[in-house]
Formats: sequence, C-alpha cells, structure tokens
Amino acid sequence: MLFNSWLFIVVFLPIVLIGYFMLGRRSNLAPVVWLALASLAFYAHSNWQFVLLLLASIAFNYAIGYLLIERKLRPRWRFAVLTAGVAGDLLVLGVFKYGGFFAANLNALLATHFVVNILLPVGISFYTFTQIAFLVDAFRGNVARYALPHYALFVTYFPHLIAGPILHHRDMIPQFERAEAKRPDPHLMLCGVIIFAIGLFKKTCLADGIQPLVALAFGPYAPTFDQAWIGVLAYTFQLYFDFSGYSDMAIGISLMFGIFLPLNFNSPYKATSIIDFWRRWHMTLSQFLRDYLYISLGGNRRGPALRYVNLGITMLLGGLWHGAAWTFVVWGALHGAYLCINHAWSNYGPKVSPRFAPAADVAGLILTFLAVVIAWVFFRANDMANALYVLSKMADPSNIALGRAEIAYAAFVLAYAALAWFAPNTQEIMGYDHKNRTVGENPGAWRLRPLLIYASAAVLAFGILGIQRYSEFIYFRF
Amino acid sequence: MTAEAKNLLKLLCAAAAIVLSAAALNYTVDPLQLFRPARLFAAMYSADTRLQDAGLIRSQQFDTVFMGTSLAIHYRQSDIDKALGVRSLKLSITGATSKEQSFVLTAALQRHPKRVIWQMDDWIFANAPDVDAEGHFPADLYRLNVKGVASYLFSGAMARESLWILARSVPPLQPIVAKLTNGVMFKFPIADVDDINVLRPDFDVAGFYNAKASLSAFRRITDPARSWYLSEGYDYPAMVQAFERDAIGLIENNPDVTFEIYFPPYSILQFVAMRDASPATLKAVYDFTAYAFPRLTKFPNVRLHDFRGVQAITHELNNYGDVIHHSPAIDLKILSMLAERKYVVDPTAPLVSLDQLKAQVEAYRLER
Repeated sequence: MLFNSWLFIVVFLPIVLIGYFMLGRRSNLAPVVWLALASLAFYAHSNWQFVLLLLASIAFNYAIGYLLIERKLRPRWRFAVLTAGVAGDLLVLGVFKYGGFFAANLNALLATHFVVNILLPVGISFYTFTQIAFLVDAFRGNVARYALPHYALFVTYFPHLIAGPILHHRDMIPQFERAEAKRPDPHLMLCGVIIFAIGLFKKTCLADGIQPLVALAFGPYAPTFDQAWIGVLAYTFQLYFDFSGYSDMAIGISLMFGIFLPLNFNSPYKATSIIDFWRRWHMTLSQFLRDYLYISLGGNRRGPALRYVNLGITMLLGGLWHGAAWTFVVWGALHGAYLCINHAWSNYGPKVSPRFAPAADVAGLILTFLAVVIAWVFFRANDMANALYVLSKMADPSNIALGRAEIAYAAFVLAYAALAWFAPNTQEIMGYDHKNRTVGENPGAWRLRPLLIYASAAVLAFGILGIQRYSEFIYFRF
Repeated sequence: MTAEAKNLLKLLCAAAAIVLSAAALNYTVDPLQLFRPARLFAAMYSADTRLQDAGLIRSQQFDTVFMGTSLAIHYRQSDIDKALGVRSLKLSITGATSKEQSFVLTAALQRHPKRVIWQMDDWIFANAPDVDAEGHFPADLYRLNVKGVASYLFSGAMARESLWILARSVPPLQPIVAKLTNGVMFKFPIADVDDINVLRPDFDVAGFYNAKASLSAFRRITDPARSWYLSEGYDYPAMVQAFERDAIGLIENNPDVTFEIYFPPYSILQFVAMRDASPATLKAVYDFTAYAFPRLTKFPNVRLHDFRGVQAITHELNNYGDVIHHSPAIDLKILSMLAERKYVVDPTAPLVSLDQLKAQVEAYRLER
C-alpha cells in the first residue's frame, strides 16, 4: 500500500488510528498488537507473498536475541550465536537481493548459464538492517529483553517498514511501551497531519511533477548537452523530494500515533562538503553504516591510512546495499573517494581565513552539489554503459538544443533548486525535535498559527489532488 | 474541544473544501468532455490519446473509427473523411498493444459506428499487460465507473487544465491565453480536434523522413548490441492467442460493423533487418501472417489490405523516418489505396501477398 493513495489516506489510516486509540483506553498491550497486525496488513496488501518471510525473519532474530540476552552463554558461544544470526540475515538478503547479480557475474566470468529469477521482497534491506543492529547491540549487552509484540512492532511498524527511516530498537521500543502514547494527543495529531501533508505534497506535486523531465537524459532518445543536464538535475531533485517526502510522511503518520521517528533528511543540497552531505542525506542509513560497519571495521582507530580504507569499504557496501548492480557499486565507490578527499583536505589542506569563509562555503556548496549530481548519474542509469553515455553527453557542450521547451524545463529545474537551497525544511518549519520528543514549539512559526493552518490545508489538498494511479517511491526498490 | 483539536478540524475541513472545489471545477469545465460536449467553454484537446480517446468517444459525432499505432497517428480526420466519404474519429495511440486497441475500439463501438479502419501489424500482438495493469492507460475513464470519475474529478493536474481552459473562454483573456498555451506546460494545448497529433505546418518533413534517417535506423537495430530488440515480444503462440482474443473476438462480436484492416507499408529495411539479425523473428512474422490472413478473410465483414509488398513505397527509403514510420505523404497514399480497394487480400488465395513479400525480402540487397 502506498502512503500516496486514497486507500491509505481515506480508509487504512483512519481505521488504524481509531482502533489504536480505542484499544488504548483498555490496555497498554492491545494497541501494540493492533498496530503490529495493521502493519502486517499494510505490507500484505501489495506484498502478500513475502509476509511469511517477514514473519520468519522476526522469529529468527527474536530467537537469536533471546539467546544473546537471556541465556548466560560463554563468550565464544555468544559470538557463535551472533555470527549465526548475522549470517542468517545476510544469507536471506543475499539470496533475495543479490542472487541474480551474483549469477549474472558468474555467467560473465565463467561463461555459464545460471538463471536466477527471484522477486525482491519490498523493504527487506530495511528490516534486515534494523534487526542486525538489534543482534549486535544484544551481543554488546546494550539491550534489555523486549516482549515479542513490541519487538514485532519495532520491525513491522508500517510508517517505516517499506523504506525507512532505519529505526533503532533503543529509540523505538521504549516509545511503544509508553502508556501516554496510546491516548490521542490533538497537538501531536495536528503536527503529524501537517508534516504528513508536507511530505505528500513533496511526493505527489514536486517529485512526480518533475519526473517526466528525467527521461530527457535517461529516456530512449539521444540527449543534447542541455537536455542531459536538465534530465540529470531533474532526477537529482526528484530523488530528494521523493525520498524526503516519504520520510516526512512516515514521521507525520507516526506522530499521529504519538511516536517520534528519527529524522532522515536535513536539506542535503545545502551541504558545503561531502562530509556535511552525509550528515544530511539518508541520515539513519549513515548512522547505521557508521555504528555497525565503519566502527566495526576499526573506524579511525588504526591510523589515517586504514581510516580511508575503512571509509571506502563502508561506502562501497553502502552503495551495494541500494541495489545489486555495478552502477550502485560505482556510486558508493565515488562517494567513498569523495569522502576520503574531503577528510584529507580537512586534515592536510590549507585553512580558510574567517574573512573568506562565506565565499568558501558557497564554493563548497557548488562543488559538493556537482559531485553529488555526477554520482547520481550512476545511481539512476540502467547500466554502466548508459551512465557513461549520459556523462559523455553532459561533457559535450558542442551539441545544444536550447529550444523553447528546454528553456521552460530549465526554468522548472531552477524553481526546484531554489526550493532545495533556500526554503526551510520540514523540521525547521515544524520545530520537530526527535531527541527531546517535542514538535510545534517553534515560536516563530506558531505565532502565525492561522496562516500555518490554512497553508497546511492547501498543501494537504494539493498533495491529495496530485495523487496518481501508479507512483511508487523510488526507495521502494532498495 | 481543545484549541488544538479545533485547529485540526479547521485544517481538515479547509483541505476537504479545496479538494471539493477542484472536483467541482473539473466537473464544470470537463476538459476531456467526458460528461458533455464543450459548449460553455472552449474545447481543447490533448496529444495523449490514451487519455484523450476516452473523451473523444463520448463527445464526437462519427460513423467510422480509425485505429492504429504511431504508424497511423499523423492522419488528419478531414483527410480520412475526404478520401473515404465518411465521418471519422481517429483514435490511434502511439505504441498501443492489441489489448489497448481492442479495449478502446470496444468502447467506441458502443456508439454504433458503421465501420472500423484498423492499421494492424504483428507487433501489436506481442506480449503486453492487461489494460488495468498498464500504468499509463486510464481504463476506468473509458468505463466511466466510480474509480474513473473520481480519478478525473479529484485530479490537481486536471484542475490546472480546467482553470486554463476557463481563462481561455473569457473573451478579453482569450488571445493572450491562446498565445501562452503550449504543449510543454499544458496537457490540453490543441484547439482543433483535426489537429490532434498532426505534424505542425513548420515541421521539416524532408529533414525527418529521408534515406539517411532510415539507413541510420537500420544500422542501429542490426547492431549486435541492440538486435535483441527486434525479437522482443515476438512469441508466436502468444501472438496468436492475443490475435484471437483482441482482433477475432472483436470482429465476431460486431457482425454489423465493417472492419477494413490494413497491414502498413513498413520499409523493406525492417524485414531485411530481421532477415540479417534475427531470422527467428522474421519466421514468427511470416508464420503469424500465414495464420492471421486466412482467419481474417473468412469473415464477411472484414476487408483486408496488405501494403507490405507495395514496392514503390517500401523500397523508396526517402519515405521513412526510420525503418517503419512513413511520411504524411504515404498516409495520403494509403487513404487513396483504401478508397480504391487496392492490394486487397483475396479470400480464396490469402497468402499470395505474403509470398510476394518473402520474395522481395529474399531478393533485397542493401547498397552499403
């Protein structure tokens, strides 16, 4: 089921909300069970064939977690149990997500003819990562025992199940346990509706609105220089508004249930360096990769040289997490290289005098943006040949169309750039503070309350009117 | 009720009011003319015929339906009317599969036309999803069921078009709005139904349709890296199944309607490309013809024309923009051949034209 569908907005969400708060009057556990069942129904609506896999994954990880938390095993056995748990998760992910990729590369190398046709279960990358984090923390002794319904809800919680944000059990399960969350809070409900409306508008009006221009670069026709740039920039903004719109909707929906989800975006195209970019783009993935991969590899504790190697490996695997294709590997490798250069420049490059800091920030913003845009070509292209072809067109200014249509498209892209660079983001507008569990306490915004209410109504209405029949989120396929 | 709860209610009510206003605007202006032909407001049309056809079928007067793919997209209805003495409605859809064509024709046949002119080829019967699974095909709009009507009325994009059409209908604004209307910003930029998907007068016909372009396309599709494309979807049993369901089913169910079917004059290069780069596909094409022609010619309400062997057209590469798409001059030629009943397949010897085509393809040698 899509958040940007009539079925979800008019039927599913109101029913689940009403059931949740009605059951909350009677018990603290029943709403958790209700929400977990509703989440399974949400998943089953379009992915019924993978519900059993999801349930099996929850049971497997809960059992491994039980062994790590409850049983007093010797250290060696604990490590063996963790290894088995993580290996089991990665095996399932590997088979479903990378089986075809592995077979294709094996065929290319050995001239064999293995055929692997396996459908990718939606959300598998997200729920596998959240559970690996749980197992690692259980091994490290950082987890108290959780009740099964709470754990199951943590994994299946429908606002995040399909495309994140990647949740952390320590952040979520205590919230599911709170009795206050089961009583309707009109303030959180109002803020949740507004954040959801902003996200819906980002998706249905902004991301879907610019999507046709992407075909200029990645469509069937040979693009000119300007068309290639317009198409690639269109994708740059489509991806941002699509994914950050989804994340806003997830945060808004969850807030209606009294649950605070972590932020996933913080105006990433305003970043003045690649390091800064990764603190602003898909923040929960960055945190996961840092805490459970980069640090596990040794992080920066084993000298500067190994730090760069660890960074490279982390980003490479981060790229591969997005999809089983060499284009994602190259995208990850590019960002790994960018990060290494950025860290080396920070450590060994010249220091900018405060007088030139604003100019350096602007230069940093432009350079970072261009580096990100170039990398998105690999992220979007169907294969390496297609990516290199589009890049070659972007580097060939001798072939320009610049007709009436291209001028109109360029103006369209510029309007999106202005939004991404100069407009406040959702959490700034709403004063959303995940850490302190507060929202809507930004005095500047709330002084204009009537205006905000009616502007939000318009944003919600336009978001609903923008709903199209088939418009999946880009991150569903990861 | 707390102040927050009141604000929440205000927000939801205001949003509902805006959504309902948009729906009311769309119903009143009715850009697709689904509910009534345009009278109060200027009639405007879209080049997206998957969408536009749903409205044309309901709003236009016609006794003949013209169906096809991109090979039949540039015809003018007025040319069809003049050449064949009919009142036609062109419903051609770029890249339309047989499922889509059959679905649209079924909807059009509910208006009881006397005749269907159908540009048919083997490609349309290739494997395709159902119309309801096809992301860009608004099947419910044709059915005009609750889902279809709701998706039409509660559409922001349609409301934008409605507003624009409304502005165009206000006399003082009309000239400036007409000047600003373009296909880049608007979905309904065409003011005359006869101009839907017709090439603009300033279109460089000679620059687009010429031997250089067709030979370049030939080289592209026979490149070993891309030649797989030639065989895409050509699965003979599936094609026969689609043909029986989408073509024969429709013909059988409408015995009072005359089906004038023509196989268009592809350039000879298309078949030569298959001969050289994908012989199995060429065999599937021949086998399909050998199955379809005797089947079609059995029906008394079918007249079948095969233009694939009209050497004067198919061997003159300047007629083509690639290996299959011919110029508007050939559109007119086809109309005159239909009017003169030329190249009609003889029901007693339905495979003669196929044998001629085979001989031409076999004999053709490309000068490199």
